Amino acid sequence: MGIDVFGLIALLVFVGLLLLYGVMGRRWPAVFRPMPGFEMLGRGIERAVEAGERVHLSLGTGSVPGKDCAPALAGLAVLSRVAAATTMSDKPAVVTAGDGALAILAQDTLRAAYAKVGARERYQPTAARMLGPTPFSYVAGLPTLLASEDVSIHMLIGSFGAEGALAAEFGERREAFVLAGTDDIPSQALMYATAEHPLIGEEVFAGGAYLNVGELHRASLRAQDVVRILIVGLMLAGTILRTLLDLL
Amino acid sequence: MADIRCPMCSQLNPEGAEVCAFCSARLRPLLAGGPSADAEAGEPESGEADWLSRIRSEAVRGEPSGEPPPAEEGAPDWLSRLRRAEAEEEGPPVGEVPTWVSEAVEPAAPAPAEVAPAAAPDVPDWLARVRERKAAEGVEAPEPAPESTDDDWLGRLRAPQEEQAPAREAPTLPEILRPPPEVAPAVKPTPGSLPSWLPQPPAAEEEAADVSPPLPSTPWEPPSRPIATPFSRGPVAPPPAPAWPPAPETPAVSGPPDWAQAAPELAQPAELEGLAHVPALLPEEGTPFLPGESGDFDLDSVHLPEWLSEVKAPAAPSKPPTEEQGINLAPATLPAWLEAMRPMETFRPVVEIQPEEEQMVEAAGPLAGLRGVLLAEPVMAMPRQTDIGSTRLDVTERQYAHAEFLHRMVQEEERELPPAAAARRRIPLTRWILSLVLLVAVALPMTVGLPAFAVPILGPPDLNPFIGRINTLPTDRPVLLVVDYEPGYSGELESVAGPMLDHMVARGLRIATVSTRPSGPPLAERLLVRAGVDAGYQNGRDYLHLGYLPGGPAAVQLFAENPRQAVPRGYLIPAELTSRSGWESPMLSGVSALRDFGAVILITSGAETARTWIEQASPRLGDVPLLMVLSAGVEPMVRPYYETLNPQVDAILAGLPAAAAYENANGRPGGAQSIWGGFGSGVFVAEITLALGAGYGLLTALLSRRRA
Amino acid sequence: MRLRASLVWAAVASGVGLIVLLGFFFDIEPLRVARQILVDWAVLLAAWALILGLLNLLSVHWSKVSQQEKGWPYSAVLLLFFLVTLILGLLFGPDSPVILFLFNNVQLPIEASLMALLAVTLTIAGFRVVTRRRDLVSLVFVGVGFLVLLGTGPWLIGSEGVLNTFFRDVRNWLAQVWAAGGARGILLGVALGAIATGLRVLLAADRPYGE
Repeated sequence: MGIDVFGLIALLVFVGLLLLYGVMGRRWPAVFRPMPGFEMLGRGIERAVEAGERVHLSLGTGSVPGKDCAPALAGLAVLSRVAAATTMSDKPAVVTAGDGALAILAQDTLRAAYAKVGARERYQPTAARMLGPTPFSYVAGLPTLLASEDVSIHMLIGSFGAEGALAAEFGERREAFVLAGTDDIPSQALMYATAEHPLIGEEVFAGGAYLNVGELHRASLRAQDVVRILIVGLMLAGTILRTLLDLL
Repeated sequence: MADIRCPMCSQLNPEGAEVCAFCSARLRPLLAGGPSADAEAGEPESGEADWLSRIRSEAVRGEPSGEPPPAEEGAPDWLSRLRRAEAEEEGPPVGEVPTWVSEAVEPAAPAPAEVAPAAAPDVPDWLARVRERKAAEGVEAPEPAPESTDDDWLGRLRAPQEEQAPAREAPTLPEILRPPPEVAPAVKPTPGSLPSWLPQPPAAEEEAADVSPPLPSTPWEPPSRPIATPFSRGPVAPPPAPAWPPAPETPAVSGPPDWAQAAPELAQPAELEGLAHVPALLPEEGTPFLPGESGDFDLDSVHLPEWLSEVKAPAAPSKPPTEEQGINLAPATLPAWLEAMRPMETFRPVVEIQPEEEQMVEAAGPLAGLRGVLLAEPVMAMPRQTDIGSTRLDVTERQYAHAEFLHRMVQEEERELPPAAAARRRIPLTRWILSLVLLVAVALPMTVGLPAFAVPILGPPDLNPFIGRINTLPTDRPVLLVVDYEPGYSGELESVAGPMLDHMVARGLRIATVSTRPSGPPLAERLLVRAGVDAGYQNGRDYLHLGYLPGGPAAVQLFAENPRQAVPRGYLIPAELTSRSGWESPMLSGVSALRDFGAVILITSGAETARTWIEQASPRLGDVPLLMVLSAGVEPMVRPYYETLNPQVDAILAGLPAAAAYENANGRPGGAQSIWGGFGSGVFVAEITLALGAGYGLLTALLSRRRA
Repeated sequence: MRLRASLVWAAVASGVGLIVLLGFFFDIEPLRVARQILVDWAVLLAAWALILGLLNLLSVHWSKVSQQEKGWPYSAVLLLFFLVTLILGLLFGPDSPVILFLFNNVQLPIEASLMALLAVTLTIAGFRVVTRRRDLVSLVFVGVGFLVLLGTGPWLIGSEGVLNTFFRDVRNWLAQVWAAGGARGILLGVALGAIATGLRVLLAADRPYGE
C-alpha cells in the first residue's frame, strides 16, 4: 500500500490553516492589498444597475472534469455575490460558459441567489447559458451577446486560452468595464494587454474574498499566503542545499 | 331697477320685495311710519311661523287690542300667553313657572316680612333677595298664581308698578326693530322704583350693594375713528353706540322707567319699590318691545357692576401735543435687540375704531338699530372680491427663476421625448489602419514574394535533439500521435508539425492518433493526409485514428492505464475492420498499454494539456520517449519539464523558426517555409507598431506632465 | 425539506470529492476502484451536461427568434445550421465526408480567422498599452515583447548575423529564464488557489450546485 506522505501532510497543513483562519478570522482580521479591479467592480455594478445596463460574467471555456474547473468555481463564487446585487435590476446579470456542466452550475447559483433575496420569481433559466462548446465558437458568440444585452460590466473569471484576449477586446470595444482573469499564464499576458482590469496569477481566485462572499474565502487567501511562504522557503532551502551539494 | 340683496342668504330679490323669496327674511327693516313698515303692516304674514316677524308686524300695526292674537299654528302657547300678560302680574305664568319659582313665591305671599331665602333648596339667590326686600318693605307678596289657570308671569311682574307707571300710550315699534335713532334719554330710576332683583340706582346703592356687581362707571364709547376691516372697501362708519348700559354716575332718579310705566299690568310688589326698573324682554300688549323712545329703559337707571364702572371711557382723541403746548413726547423707541427681532414683513393690521357717532347703524337683521356691529354683508351676505392688491405677490428675481425652473421641470416630465438616436459610432481608425497594414504585410511576401526573408539554416538548440529522437524511433512499433489543439491553432501547428510528420513518413513509421478534443480526429486526418499522400500512406494500414478520448485528465489517466478500454470507438475506421474501435488492426496488434507504443508525440497549443499528459501519462511510459510539438507561446511553460535533471519530456519542437529549420534539414520545403515571408513581415510590422505605440505613449505622458 | 435536500447534496459532493482525493494519496485497491468508478460517472455526467448545455443554447436562441429580440437573425442562422449539422451528422455519421467537408471548409476557416483576428487585436493592444497605462510595468511589458519579437522573427538583413544571434539569445534568455521562472511562480499560486477552491467545495463552504 503506497501512501503519498508528503502530499498528505501538505494537504492536512492546508486544511488546518484553512479551518484555523476560518475560525479566528473575526478575531484576527486580515488586511489584503488593494485590488483596483474588484474595488471598482462594486461601483461599476451600481452604476450599471442604475443605468439599466447588464452585467455579464463569463466562466470560461474550461470543463468541469478537469483542473480548469477551479477558476470557474471561483467565478461562481463571484457570481453569487454579483447576482445578489443585480436581482432587482431591470436587467439582471447574465452568465455564459463554454461548457454545459458549468452552465448548469451557473443556473443553480443564480437560482440560489434569487431565492436568498426573496426574488425567486424573477429568476430566468436562460440567464445562464452555454454560448458554444469550443473556445473559439464561444468567443464568436460574445459580440452578439454583448450588443443585444446592453452589457456594460464584462467579467471574465474562468479558464481561458488565447481566446480570452479576444473576449476582453470585445468588451473594450463597447467601452465596458472589463475585469478579466484566468489560470492560463500566456492568456494572462494577453489579457494584461487587452483588458482594462486584468487579474494576474492567483488574483482570479481572490474574488470571493474581496467581494466578501464568505469567511472561508478570506481564510483561503490567508492560508494560501502561508503555504506560499512555506514553499518559497523550501525552494530556497532546496536551492541552497543543492548548490552546496554540487560544490562539495 | 336695482335688485335688493337679502341680508340673510345673499340672494338677489326684486327691488320692491319686502321679504326674501328664498329665506323669507325681511329685506327692509321695520320702521315706525316708514313705507316699509306701512307696507308691512298692510301685508299680513300668513301661514308663517316666524314669531318675531309677527311681533314686528303687530308693533307696526299698533294693535292696542288686549285680545290676544289668534294662536297660530305652531306658535308656542307661552308666547300667546305672554301677550296677555297683565302689568300687575309678576312672575311667570303658573303653567310656565318652574315649581321652584312658585314655591319660592308662595311662602313670601302670606308673610311679606318674612325672609326665607333658603326656604326652598332650589330657590336662586336673587329670588331670595327679592323676597327679603319685599318682606322688609312690607310689600305684599303677590298671590301665588294657580299653576294651571294663570300663566301670565310677565303681567304679574308689571302689576306692582302699574301705579307708578303711567298709562302707556299706544304701542310703538319695538326698539330692537327700529333704526337706531339718537340715543334716547335715559330715564333714571328712582330708588325703590326698580324690582329688588335689579340693581338699584346710586341712591339705594348702599342697600343693594350686594344685589349685583356694579356696572362700569363709564358707558361704552364708540371708537372715534372709522373701523377698517380686512374685507371692507374702505373705512366703515362705526355703528352708533348702543343705548346701554348707562353710566352709573348719572342714575336716573326721576322715577320708574318708562318700560315699567308702559306696562301697566306689571304689578310691582311692595318689596320692589325703589328698585331699578328693567324693561321686559318681550313686549306686552301695547308696550314697546324695548324701551327706546318711550324711555322705559334708561341706561342710567341700570346699576352697572363695579367692574364696568371702573372701566373708563376712552378719552376723546385729543390733539397731539404741540410745541406750543409745551409737551414733548418722544416717539416710542424699541431697544436695538428688540428692534432686530422685528420680522421683516410684519403684518400690521390697522384697525381703526371710529367714534360712536360715526359708526354705522345696522339696518337689517336681528341687530338692527345697533352700532358697532360687524358688518355681515360685505363678508357673509355679499360675495366679495379681493382687492387687486391682495393678489399681487412680491416675488424676487431668485424666486421667479426657481418658479420658472420648476415649471420647466414639470413640463419636461410631461413631454414625450423622441427616442434617442443611436450614438454615432466612432470610426476605429487606428484599428483599421493597423489591420490593413498587417494584412498587406503578410499578404505581400506570399503573393508577390517581397520582401523576402531568408530561411534560417541553423535552428534552435532544441531542434537537433528532436530530429535525433525521430531518427531513433523503432519502426516495428507504432507511434502514438496525440492531436490536442483547437482548429484555430491549425495554421501554426500544422506548419510546425509538418516537417516532423514528413520525417516520420519518410522513415515509414506507423502512426496511431488520438485526441481529447472532439475536433482532434479531423485535424489528425488533415495532418496525415497532407504528410502521407505522397508516400501512399493508407488509413488502417499505415495510420489509424483511435478517435476521441472523452473525460479530460481523468480520461488520459485511464488511457495511460488501459488504452484499449479508454477509447471505445475509432474515427474513420476502414470498412475491412469489423470492430469499430480499430484495435484489431494489424498495426496495433501488439499494443495493449501505453508503453507498447514506440513514442508518444503530443501536438498541443495549451500548456495545461501538455502538463496533463506529462503528469498522467509519463509515469506509465517507462522508456518510451515523450515528444512535444508546441506553439511558440507554450514553449516556456513546457521547457522546465524538458530541461530538468530527470526530464519528463524528451524533446520539444516549438515555433515556426524551428519548423522552417527542420524543413531545411529534411530538404523538403513545407508549410513553414511557405509562410516564412509573411511571418517575417508580420513580425516586422508588429515590432514597428510596438515601438511606435511606446513612443507615442511616452510622448503624451511627457507633454501632459509639462502642461501640468 | 429544502434544508435537508441541500444537506444531502452537500454530503454527496463532499463524500465523492473526499474519496477521489484520498485515492491520489492512498494506493489502496478499494479506494482506487471507487475512485475509478466515480471518475467514470463524472465523465458520463460531463457528456450529458454537454447535451444539456446544447439544449440550453437552443432554447435561448429559439426564444430570441420567437420574440424577435435584438439580434434575432443571427440566432435564426445559428438554429438553422445547428439543425442542418445535427441532421447530417446523425444521418451520415461524424466521420463522413460530408461532415469532414463542413469541418474543413466552415469550422476550421472560421476559427483560424478568429485566431488571425487575435493577432491583429494583440498588435493594436500592444500599441495602446503604454498610452492606456503609463507605468513602468507597461513599459517593461512592451519592451520585453519588442525584444522577443526581435529575437524570434526573421530579419531582412539575414538571420545568421551576429546581431540576430545576439537578439535570439536575448529572446531565449528572457523566455526561458524570466518568463519561465515567473510563470512557475504564478503556476504555484494558481495551484494553491485551485487547491483552496477545491477544499472549499469539499468542506461545503462553496456550494455551486445551489443551496
